Amino acid sequence: MDGQAKQGSQGGESDMECSDTECFDDYDYYNNDDNEIEQIDPKKTDIEYFSCESLNEEQVERLLNETVELLSNNLQITPSSAKVLLHSHEWDVPAIVRNYKENVSNIRIRTNSAIVPQSQICFRYITCSVCVTTQNSDKFFSLSCSHSFCKDCWMTHFEVQINQGISTGISCMARDCGVLAPEDFVLKHLARTNLREKYQQFTFQDYVKSHPCLRFCPGPNCSIVIYSKEIKAKKAFCSYCKTSFCFKCGIDYHAPTECIIIKKWLTKCADDSETANYISAHTKDCPKCNICIEKNGGCNHMQCYSCKHDFCWMCMGDWKTHGSEYYECSRYRENPNVAYESAHAQAREALKKYLHYYERWENHSKSLKLEEQTLTKLKTRINQKVMSGLGTWIDWQYLFTAAELLAKCRYTLQYTYPYAYYMDPGPRKELFEYQQAQLEAEIENLSWKVERAETTDRGDLENQMDIAEKRRTTLLKDFLDV
Amino acid sequence: MAALPRRIIKETQRLMQEPVPGISAIPDESNARYFHVIVTGPEDSPFEGGLFKLELFLPEDYPMSAPKVRFITKIYHPNIDRLGRICLDILKDKWSPALQIRTVLLSIQALLSAPNPDDPLANDVAELWKVNESEAIRNAKEWTRRYAMDT
Repeated sequence: MDGQAKQGSQGGESDMECSDTECFDDYDYYNNDDNEIEQIDPKKTDIEYFSCESLNEEQVERLLNETVELLSNNLQITPSSAKVLLHSHEWDVPAIVRNYKENVSNIRIRTNSAIVPQSQICFRYITCSVCVTTQNSDKFFSLSCSHSFCKDCWMTHFEVQINQGISTGISCMARDCGVLAPEDFVLKHLARTNLREKYQQFTFQDYVKSHPCLRFCPGPNCSIVIYSKEIKAKKAFCSYCKTSFCFKCGIDYHAPTECIIIKKWLTKCADDSETANYISAHTKDCPKCNICIEKNGGCNHMQCYSCKHDFCWMCMGDWKTHGSEYYECSRYRENPNVAYESAHAQAREALKKYLHYYERWENHSKSLKLEEQTLTKLKTRINQKVMSGLGTWIDWQYLFTAAELLAKCRYTLQYTYPYAYYMDPGPRKELFEYQQAQLEAEIENLSWKVERAETTDRGDLENQMDIAEKRRTTLLKDFLDV
Repeated sequence: MAALPRRIIKETQRLMQEPVPGISAIPDESNARYFHVIVTGPEDSPFEGGLFKLELFLPEDYPMSAPKVRFITKIYHPNIDRLGRICLDILKDKWSPALQIRTVLLSIQALLSAPNPDDPLANDVAELWKVNESEAIRNAKEWTRRYAMDT
């Protein structure tokens, strides 16, 4: 996004410079080393940098098969047995190899599927203990545990298990025998094509779920799998359906809050839905003229349409007191005497504290949605401008960049509230809330300017974008721990 | 309805010819997959002297799926709920097609001798079993006398 904005502003520069850079490109071939130092590594500058790939089913199969092949070659076992091992050991080839060398017999017993144990070949007829029918011994099969059952029983066993949604977890039929049935053994006994397909679909899902570097994209009806070598609570992005999520825990991205904390917070919010209902009133009265105001934009700097009073939607205080650098209303003031008060008062205080953070969390979430509407309005306004000859479509692109940045900043701001709620009081929390307040102030300024885009000077807006993003990255650099 | 599998016929025959001590399982006259079961309360347990009625049903894909078993007689036990449903691993994920009606009923009888309040189905019973075992046992004896001893 930044790149786009910069290119736009450099549009008027001379051709001479362009040819200069071309010369540099030629030069680079001979002086590669110098150039590498100059290059900015996004891993170091951007704390949220996360590299992940969107893979389709075929690509995932290829990736898994490479690992399977590696292990089966290394240990000289069948690919199916290798899959059983990989699935139960989080696809960690070095660990499996180490384990295997320490305890060869153990692993061999758990995986290899031998066909018809030798001792039974001499008996012509065997009775299957499951169906109690006597058949020729060539109808009998067993896994590495040597528990032998007839072919028909294996088939029905697999059919029943697959219809219950079990695939990689199918084990031997003998009592208390945990030996797992490898893929080739199962497929050999399955006759019906639809069940074979179902089985392969289920095993694929199990393999992806057990692989630490793979995640199914949570987007609706999206079959993409996201791959990343780095298993961190960072923002994974599906390049097909554009869904983003936290790679570690799979829910919505939540920096700077940690996975455990955000889970706790979301459960708390769901549990306290009664109080949530109470807060979700959409209207407030103007503190000056008491006229009823409905919030129809994302910005929390409100101006009463009737008396033109400027106030803050959060604390209802005069906007002027919010000053330029100290945005007081994002900070929760704990009652210092609470320790001495009754349990009832303490409970009330706890609820008050929760409501303080919840209101802000909920409010920013609503602002995000309202600002989405602002964006659509913006589009129609720009269309009108372009139609009436006021600049070209490209000239107005910076407004979209601004709106996108605003959404990004407000998103982070929303997720600072659960973080703050669970912080222990102390200097670190004070610093956090100070930075949070600064971020909040800049975001509201930005929102105000985006909503009034035509009357705001472009330079002024871009300056505001820069400040807001700086505040956001500063906060993340200091508090995001991934 | 399909013909009764050989496995069920064999099992039923053996149950009739060599019944398990303390357990009787008789197939229903109109449905060979439905069994009327009576289990006697094990010695030295709070259920001693009681006769507990159960029903056992062999589903379509038996023995690949576990039989469905339920207590009909009311019983005070941490792993059996008010509807008579039983919390027993071999009836769920630990089921193996190699297990039989006989082994299932023996396991249920063993569960009466050794209640497991750490894996409860009836929460209030399990709770009392843990905090005040002697009172829980008193309750179990009382229920056995009241519901499982026909006079």
